[in-house]
Amino acid sequence: METRVMPHTRGMSRALPWRKVALGAAIAVGLVAAAPLSAQAAAPAACAALQEKYPDWKGKTLVNAINPHTPGYETIDPKDPSKYIGFDIDLGEAIGECLGFKLTYKPVVFAALLTTLAAGQADIVISDIYATKERAKAADFITYSKVFDGVLVAKGNPKGINGINMSMCGAAAAENTGYVEVPLIQALIPECKKAGKAEPTIQLYDNNANCIQAILAGRADTYVNDVNTVDSAVKAYPDKLEKAIAVTIPYSVGIAVPKDKPKFRDAVLAALIEVQKAGTHMELLKKHGLDVNNFKEPDILTAD
Amino acid sequence: MLLAPAFPRNLIPALIGRLMSLFLHYLSMPYLLEGIELTLEVTALGLGGGLILGLILAGMQLSRFWLLSAIARAYTVIFRGTPLILQMVFAYDALPHIGIKLPAVLAAGLALACNEAPFIAEMLRAGVLGVDRGQVTAGQALGMTPRILMWRIIAPQAIRTMIPAFGNEAVSALKNSSLASVVAVQELTLRSTQLASSTFDFFSIFFASGLLYLVLTASISVIQLFVEWLLDLDRADGRQRKLADYLPWRRVDLGTKLELAAATADEPQPAQPELVETPPLALTSEERARRAATIARNNIAVETKDLTKSYGPQKVLGGLDLTVRVGEVVALLGPSGSGKSTLLRCINHLESWDSGTVRVGGRRLGFGDNGKALSPRDLANERASVGVGMVFQQFNLFAHLSARENIAGPLRWVHGMTRIDADRRATELLDRVGLSHRAYALPRHLSGGQQQRVAIARALAPNPSVLLLDEPTSALDPELVNEVLEVIRRLAIDDGLTMIISTHQIRFADEVADRVAFLNGGRIIEEGPAHEVLSNPRNPLTARFLSVMDADKTPETVR
Repeated sequence: METRVMPHTRGMSRALPWRKVALGAAIAVGLVAAAPLSAQAAAPAACAALQEKYPDWKGKTLVNAINPHTPGYETIDPKDPSKYIGFDIDLGEAIGECLGFKLTYKPVVFAALLTTLAAGQADIVISDIYATKERAKAADFITYSKVFDGVLVAKGNPKGINGINMSMCGAAAAENTGYVEVPLIQALIPECKKAGKAEPTIQLYDNNANCIQAILAGRADTYVNDVNTVDSAVKAYPDKLEKAIAVTIPYSVGIAVPKDKPKFRDAVLAALIEVQKAGTHMELLKKHGLDVNNFKEPDILTAD
Repeated sequence: MLLAPAFPRNLIPALIGRLMSLFLHYLSMPYLLEGIELTLEVTALGLGGGLILGLILAGMQLSRFWLLSAIARAYTVIFRGTPLILQMVFAYDALPHIGIKLPAVLAAGLALACNEAPFIAEMLRAGVLGVDRGQVTAGQALGMTPRILMWRIIAPQAIRTMIPAFGNEAVSALKNSSLASVVAVQELTLRSTQLASSTFDFFSIFFASGLLYLVLTASISVIQLFVEWLLDLDRADGRQRKLADYLPWRRVDLGTKLELAAATADEPQPAQPELVETPPLALTSEERARRAATIARNNIAVETKDLTKSYGPQKVLGGLDLTVRVGEVVALLGPSGSGKSTLLRCINHLESWDSGTVRVGGRRLGFGDNGKALSPRDLANERASVGVGMVFQQFNLFAHLSARENIAGPLRWVHGMTRIDADRRATELLDRVGLSHRAYALPRHLSGGQQQRVAIARALAPNPSVLLLDEPTSALDPELVNEVLEVIRRLAIDDGLTMIISTHQIRFADEVADRVAFLNGGRIIEEGPAHEVLSNPRNPLTARFLSVMDADKTPETVR
């Protein structure tokens, strides 16, 4: 649900080709998901060097706070609900493997991800959270993914919504508490007013499933969120939902780490670079049916 | 292209079948069932912790010290007035900043406990305050310390009345435990929402988890009913109320119930055969004179000197002097509000007074050697050792104890008797007041007269040196008065017990009392040999009172 801060590459915002890719990727998931992931381990030598350079976390078990309501990124495994699955889960474990730590998971509501980290109840947050300057006041981010949002609407798009724009005037948008889409939609309010149209309203829920249910129940007209999430909702209710369009928003997804542990942040960054070098990152995108265009080389985002 | 395409008719049963099988799948899913464990853990922590905190809070609120009760009140305002969800987040996310990092279950349990505490405290307080004050006074008069009173008299009755409220509280705590999901406790609700997010089987999952919650809350209700049944006094009484009577569609009046009324009624005047009415006790003038002469040589049993007491601006005792000798029976007469009851309550220090002294058996009851007032506990012990028994207008039997236990209990708790000795003594006394056949009856199944006879037996059990009777027959129906008076009469004549009786029964006073004291406005305005004062009152107020008390109560001629 969160996107990166950096300006990103060409062509991404075109809905049509993008959709095709997503579809192809979705089909690929089924095949790849079953196969054992060969590229999971980053280069052993490089990781060994990192473990030597950053020995503090070797052999430790760290807590990863997640909001496990985002199919493709992090949910419980429906076949074995004691486990979490998804791209973020695998990526986090690949980083952990490189640095020599293991992860356990702490499921919290989205809005509590960073407070849980700040309270020391978690060591790291890898939960599809968009790195923004605002959030960087609460945590440091290592960005790792571009994000494309999809606009989920009822089948037939009765309100004709085609993005976070004037087409949303007068519409009811379902959003998760704390999502970056919330201020974007709020920013439409004065514009709609100026144009003499009704204001958009925002309904805040605390997880994906509730936002999707709001559209199914006819309470909300749209839900703007990560495109993969939107796609999986459409897949689950093909008769009732559709994706109106994909939009880009100017953020990146980031791994959040405590502000007072720059060494840990650097270690995670270094490990992520190794994981990407080994091709694991790309491999995982494919495995989970995500658009490979999401791939992004890591950066650090802090408040200052 | 509008909305859902119509389903072919035959698809609907298939759809329902699919939903049903999903529902059953989730209902039996170990992942959800394991969530119950955490739900119960958080609930148990919340309730257990809430009970402990609630006990402390209730204690503070009922305390004599205003600071404690102010603190408790402030706590209640804060924790009852803020949402539990904030308290959960606070315990989980804010406490770590001051170095207290509790595991999620403990943090959630702590928040729930802090939230439950004020509610439980109010329940406890209401339960304690709901126990009849008269019983507490009776317990004090029997020499019970505050601790014994709380443990033996107040708590057992308060707990019985609190069970339904506590059942409520348990259900609400169970449901509130779902808020622990905001602090990552993997309880039932959090597991359900995660599962719904990963499978999109929204409704099947929530119906399944809803049903699981229902099973849990229903179990609490069953436990509550079972405990109610277990603690039902009528059950112990052998008057079987069946567990089934608690089912919601049964219409048994749990308060009165017919069989019990019948059981009491089947004994219309049961006491009479055993308590043969003696001929209206008749002492001749010579006998009276001889008795008076004997008593005059006896030691002083009770002595009050210049006793004064006011309730605010109203003076209830205005410098009252009274001396009662061992073996003497003194009747206190006078209109309502003349200070009779207050005088009696001062004699065993159930009430304090403003100035003057009270001595019982030569001792200043309730004051240490240095003249300072004793603590409630020491006062209780002194009451027990000096031996002042008291009988009240409203009987004040301990409602949760059988007739025999009303007598035997205080003997064990206050006087340290063994159960065997106490039971033997109780049986003996019940026999004496003609109630051995009702030994196991609860007070509420006894008639007023029977209750008062048990109360007299209870007061006599520790062999008091003085017995105070505060209008012992005023609350009785006229036809029940005699059975009680008969018991008192025998105590005077057969046992030679020292008694101070406040009464409106002029004839009875004449027959039984050696001396009457007529009170008005907190002073004795006339006193003297009973028959003399009652036949020829010298003070006009006495005369008027006696005539108002109605002609047929005027004393008979002494035979």
